[in-house]
Amino acid sequence: MTHALGSRSLDSFRDPVPQGADPLRQSNDKQIYGDSAQISHTGEVIESSTAQLVAESVRLHGAPAFGQFVRIETEPMPILGVVHNAQTQSLEANRRPSAYGKSEEELRLEQPQIFELLRTHFDVFVLGYLDGAYPVLAYPPQPARIHSFVYLCDAPQVEAVTANDQLLRSLLDAPGLPTDELLLATLCHALEARDPAHQQAYVLRTGKELSRLLRDDYDRLSAIVRRLKERQSTQVEQTQVAR
Amino acid sequence: MSVGTDRPLGPEGKPDSAGEGRQNPAARDPRGRVGVITKGSLVEGLEMKLDAERNVEDMKAGKFVVIEGDKNDFFSMVTDMRLDATNGEILLHPPERTDELLRQILAGTGTYNIVSLRPMLMMPTAATPGSDDGPRPVKAIPSHFSVVQDAEEGDVSRIFGSEGDDEGRYFSVGSPLDMETPVCVDMVRFAERSNGIFGKTGTGKSFLTRLALCGLIHYDRAVNLIFDMHNEYGWKAMKETAGSNSSFVKGLKQLFGERVAIFSLDPKSTRSRGIQPDHEVYISYDQIAVEDIAPLQDELKLNPTAVESAYLVYALYKDRWLRTLLSLEGPDVEEFANEIGAHPGSLVALHRKLKRLENFPFMVKKGGGDDDCVDRIMQYLDAGINVVLEFGQQTSMLCYLLVANIISRRIHEMYVKKCEKFYATQNPEDQPRQLMITIEEAHKFLNPAAAKQTIFGTIAREMRKYYVSLLVVDQRPSGIDDEVLSQLGTRITALLNDEKDISAVLTGVSGTEGLRSVLASLDSKQQALVLGHAVPMPVVVRTREYGEDFYRFLGAADEAPEVRRARAEKERVALFGSD
Repeated sequence: MTHALGSRSLDSFRDPVPQGADPLRQSNDKQIYGDSAQISHTGEVIESSTAQLVAESVRLHGAPAFGQFVRIETEPMPILGVVHNAQTQSLEANRRPSAYGKSEEELRLEQPQIFELLRTHFDVFVLGYLDGAYPVLAYPPQPARIHSFVYLCDAPQVEAVTANDQLLRSLLDAPGLPTDELLLATLCHALEARDPAHQQAYVLRTGKELSRLLRDDYDRLSAIVRRLKERQSTQVEQTQVAR
Repeated sequence: MSVGTDRPLGPEGKPDSAGEGRQNPAARDPRGRVGVITKGSLVEGLEMKLDAERNVEDMKAGKFVVIEGDKNDFFSMVTDMRLDATNGEILLHPPERTDELLRQILAGTGTYNIVSLRPMLMMPTAATPGSDDGPRPVKAIPSHFSVVQDAEEGDVSRIFGSEGDDEGRYFSVGSPLDMETPVCVDMVRFAERSNGIFGKTGTGKSFLTRLALCGLIHYDRAVNLIFDMHNEYGWKAMKETAGSNSSFVKGLKQLFGERVAIFSLDPKSTRSRGIQPDHEVYISYDQIAVEDIAPLQDELKLNPTAVESAYLVYALYKDRWLRTLLSLEGPDVEEFANEIGAHPGSLVALHRKLKRLENFPFMVKKGGGDDDCVDRIMQYLDAGINVVLEFGQQTSMLCYLLVANIISRRIHEMYVKKCEKFYATQNPEDQPRQLMITIEEAHKFLNPAAAKQTIFGTIAREMRKYYVSLLVVDQRPSGIDDEVLSQLGTRITALLNDEKDISAVLTGVSGTEGLRSVLASLDSKQQALVLGHAVPMPVVVRTREYGEDFYRFLGAADEAPEVRRARAEKERVALFGSD
């Protein structure tokens, strides 16, 4: 863990772009894990409890996307969670950043030190843990240890976590979360992780499960479904444009 | 809770649950699953939640499904369906027409379909002892969430038997809705009891009747006497088709040749349709008994005392009573009444009304001794030849009632004698042939008033032990006496709309609630509900096509004349010997 602080600072200085966009970094976590030449983790746990934890992002403004699935490598077994909040603030609690009236580029040239005083934190809602290779959607026996590294889940992991309807139940029952927003975001990530041929069936199955869970709240269900459909169509358009 | 990655995941969106918990994996195709049983009772029937992937429009009333219980398969009929929703909000704010995703999501979760099933038979599964006993009446219900499957061809033949068995008892009358397997009627059981064929006019009663008669004749399960009011069974009959191009279908004589004889009350009409009747029927006044007049009360508008007066005449003149009465003219009748001690007014009225009988061309003063048509019919029937009695132009109800009554009464008497002889000797050779008498417009003979008086009422009630049964063809079953209806063995029913008719047809059948809706929702053509003694459970059939394939099945497809002649000769020799 000796490399963590130093390399993070350098990286955050050079590369403000979120790391999640780089697919290479998401894959082969196991291989890369422990290799000090490259940084594969996306954050480090700084506050931990059974149900929630807070991690500090490796890069400034580099928290995982809202609703993204993350894996925390800790003892006795890795923990799975979903990102539900991120915030960037001053390193010192009683010192607020002040406005400079300049673009970020100008600021990086003129006042590079101020970025060293900022940190990005993100909140993770604990979904379950990994038992060997299999995700178990239940609270882990022990919370994550402080300073554990946080990694983004790769596509097969996302697919496995979201294959079970228990995910929806956990999210709906979680207290104090922006549930509907989080549901939508996680569903979009779940869809991205799937083969396009299976996406429609997945949407349908999840929708049916949601309909069962929200049977007393038809308005909420129809709103979620409508928004999911809108997101889905924009996603399809984007991929078409990209091609 | 494990996410279940240690076993292969089913395809997305389709729960891989079909056939789960099933003891007998060799049973049915899991793709045939339609739903699960959710509630119900033995008395009121069961309710099934339709699987979301199934379209409710495929669940037609009368469809045939199998509930796979733990120990028994329950063969059931779809009787009703209902659309339901968990939440009233959905119904108040239904998804937009364009919102296909939401509609799909709600299907089976927020909105669902309930299908009512009526279990008709249960059969132990292969793993349960007693599975060889065949189907039994339902005395139990399947447990919660038993899987419901589409019935398969094997199920249908397991229940209804299949045509071409060694004994030759099963005769296919059609196939279940949405299936191609033949549904068979057990012809042995069909011939055992009186049967009914009902349906509104134009729904194919005549075709159903012709089909049933073909079955009886083909398998030689009963010899038939058919009172053919509209001349549609003997020779060609017109097929009612949509549009103007009507075609003709073959009659029994064409299909069975020498095994069918046509008797005609109106030989001229019969000849004009291109056939020579085997025998012309004349009825002498001496053959008419008072009992034959009694059922004509309605048609002749007789008052109740008229029959009593007739009995007075009969007491004096016996068989010649009618001839004597009709030979009188005008004022002589009153005198005659005073002589015999009858009420003059009543006898005059009776005389006046019976005079109508003289207008019938087939009435003769005195029949020749050996030309008694009833004896002739009996000879034919004894020889196993089926008799079609055509009425030609004589289509009045009065004529039909009179003739049918006279002939049936005499035949009945003969059968009673034959049976008594058989009971006395117990010689198998004396055993009479099972006879089935087909009557149309049966409510005229069997209405509550007439059923007590006509011979048909007696036959329907008690003649089974004398080897005579009825095939009742009618469009107004509510007009038939309840007592008679309840004794009918097998009922084949085309569409009926009138509530009274529907309940009349279902008289004497248990668990009719579900069948009611089935009966009222039949197609108006080529569909019929078969229930009763000759089928193990009620079933809706698309009736068998009465056409070339059927003729071929009966061995009567259009063949070269010489072949037909040779066959006829062979049959003649078989029947009458080679002298």
